[in-house]
Amino acid sequence: MRDKFFRPLAATIAVAALAACADTSGGKPAAPSDVSTTLTSDQVTLTLAYTDDPPTKALIDAFHAQHPNITITGQQTPFSDYVKSIKLSMASPTPPDIAEYNPGAMRSLVPAGLVYDLSPYEKAYGWSSGFPASSLEVLKSDASAKQYGTGGLYAVPGALSVLGVYYNKSLVAKPPTTLDQFEQSLAAVKRAGTTPLSVGGLQVGGFQVWNALTNVLGDEQQYRDWVYGKPGSTIVTDGARTAAQKLADWSAAGYVPASANATADSDAQANFVQGKSAYLITGNWAAGAIAKEMGDKVGFFLLPGASAVASGASVAYSISAKTKHPNEAAAFLDFMRSEQAATIQFDTGFMPVDNTVQPKATGVLADIAGGFKTVVDDNGIVPFPDFASPNMIDRLTAGVQGLLSRKTTPDQFLADLQESWTQYHA
Amino acid sequence: MPDGNTTARRVRRLTALAYVAPAGLVYAGFALWPAVHTAYLSFLHWDGISAATPAGLSNYRSVFTDPAIGPALWHAIVLIVFFAVIPCAIGLLLTALLQGGVRGMTGFRIVFFLPQVLPMVAVGITWRWLYADDGLVNQALRAVGLGGITRAWLGDYNFALIALGLIGTWAMSGLCMVLFLAGAQKIDISLYEAVALDGGGAVRRFFTVTLPALRGEITIASVITTIAALASFDLAFVTTNGGPVNRTTVPGLLVYRLAFNESDIGRAAALAVVLTIVVIVFVTAIRRLTRERP
Repeated sequence: MRDKFFRPLAATIAVAALAACADTSGGKPAAPSDVSTTLTSDQVTLTLAYTDDPPTKALIDAFHAQHPNITITGQQTPFSDYVKSIKLSMASPTPPDIAEYNPGAMRSLVPAGLVYDLSPYEKAYGWSSGFPASSLEVLKSDASAKQYGTGGLYAVPGALSVLGVYYNKSLVAKPPTTLDQFEQSLAAVKRAGTTPLSVGGLQVGGFQVWNALTNVLGDEQQYRDWVYGKPGSTIVTDGARTAAQKLADWSAAGYVPASANATADSDAQANFVQGKSAYLITGNWAAGAIAKEMGDKVGFFLLPGASAVASGASVAYSISAKTKHPNEAAAFLDFMRSEQAATIQFDTGFMPVDNTVQPKATGVLADIAGGFKTVVDDNGIVPFPDFASPNMIDRLTAGVQGLLSRKTTPDQFLADLQESWTQYHA
Repeated sequence: MPDGNTTARRVRRLTALAYVAPAGLVYAGFALWPAVHTAYLSFLHWDGISAATPAGLSNYRSVFTDPAIGPALWHAIVLIVFFAVIPCAIGLLLTALLQGGVRGMTGFRIVFFLPQVLPMVAVGITWRWLYADDGLVNQALRAVGLGGITRAWLGDYNFALIALGLIGTWAMSGLCMVLFLAGAQKIDISLYEAVALDGGGAVRRFFTVTLPALRGEITIASVITTIAALASFDLAFVTTNGGPVNRTTVPGLLVYRLAFNESDIGRAAALAVVLTIVVIVFVTAIRRLTRERP
């Protein structure tokens, strides 16, 4: 009973609590001084705030084994709480030294001068080798954190991910090698009486299908510029429109279940694992859980297209501008491109940062590693579209729900995305 | 020179203040101050981190021009039907049926009131399963031969808001019933006897005696449930997150998105203030409508 009265109040308090940390701004990005790759031999303790584990804990332990005098204390927070609290904790007088980077939650930390521009370390360590260019590019931004892919470097990737297609080997004999073949296969599965594609339209699963289609149907550079916020960019392109139209057509043809808009990502994955559908489009982060249930009955391929392009992201780490040990924190970031880290990254279900390392893998993990290498070699990893502006994720989710229920036309969908982009970037 | 009477009154007043002070401080600290502060924030441009800059009325201007706000307010008003109007009607019906003691009365009361003690988040998750494609609701429909109309209710473009509203009906009806049953206990039995002597039946008894006697309880129940409808957030957040195609967005959800997804504290605060005013308007209207005319 009482919470009925207090609920609106609680929302008010939550907003007011944010107010408590006002006026911490420096107004400019922060750069470290005394940059060195030589580390202290004193006992040093760093704190690291993160949400993704694996791989974080294993990486911390491996780093400590190499540098016994540097202890890193991890503080894990569940994702939904992490994105709400990390900004405030980075703005507090005693922030963690290292924090897992989240572009949505943390972009305001860059102009506030609360995370370091890591460019001096990039130069000192020579990070341009060992880190795939596209994986660093997405972590660069201008001083106002509005345009990405250029300017200072604010985080370094600790493990990489890629978006692709899982298929059930009992339902699909051979993975398709062209988009046409893929559509033919969807039709064949449908004729056989099985749902072709599981889609978590309630959450991000819906727009990931559109995203994968846009990657292979659209112009790579045009899309990348749009997500990065390059002035004058637009998503109202033929490729994106064809992708949206295809998704609507697939829904009309019954390739996507009618219940997709009420299906959470975890439910879509569960349906696929239980053999209720032939295909599932999601990232390699799900590989561990899927392989555990399906064993060698599951395979993975990148949505086929003219060139190898796929969306990907990373578990990345930033350094607080208030840390007392920036050099030691940077050494942890440098560790991410090592061969030892690569093994950990791969074993925990991610793609290794150093892609020259060829991990031994079998089954679906080998499929993922193979597909990932093709894209990275082609520099074809592009960022996820929800990165483009703060409320893009809501526009994408609602827009794809409209495509799936055939209440929104592809043109309306793209115009709505572009409106959000223009509001933020203009 | 003050006489003894005035001094005594002053002491009494101070004692009264001392009694009120602890509750008053908590209320001021956790209700008044945040409210005033939210109103203050609504006049600022602020991302939660950097220095805030004065915004004048521009946050309010953007609240009133945002095309997402209108539908969200409309959805909240539709929810009033499901959170307030239908539950009050069901509560009155149950009161008429259960009044005067039925065998297993406590059992009925517990069962109907149970949704009230469950957190809305748990309620929402449970109903997501019940409404799912192969959930209990659709199984029941298939069992009675209505397999043709089954669908994933919360994902349906036309039915999602109604499906969401019915969860509210389920949760609020018990609250209304308990309030009305408690109110009905204080009704003088002789009034019912008078109706019976005049030859009135159960329906007559209800409309001439029970309903007017419950005026106060109906007001309270309507106010509580209307506030729950207008300020709803948790239910929409865990079941549909505003989908599909923004057909179930509510103002509370937009406040949350503005504050936490978009880091636009000023606009979030402005929308919260507007929502508060809407709530006050509705509550005032309900109190006027149900006021006893002299």
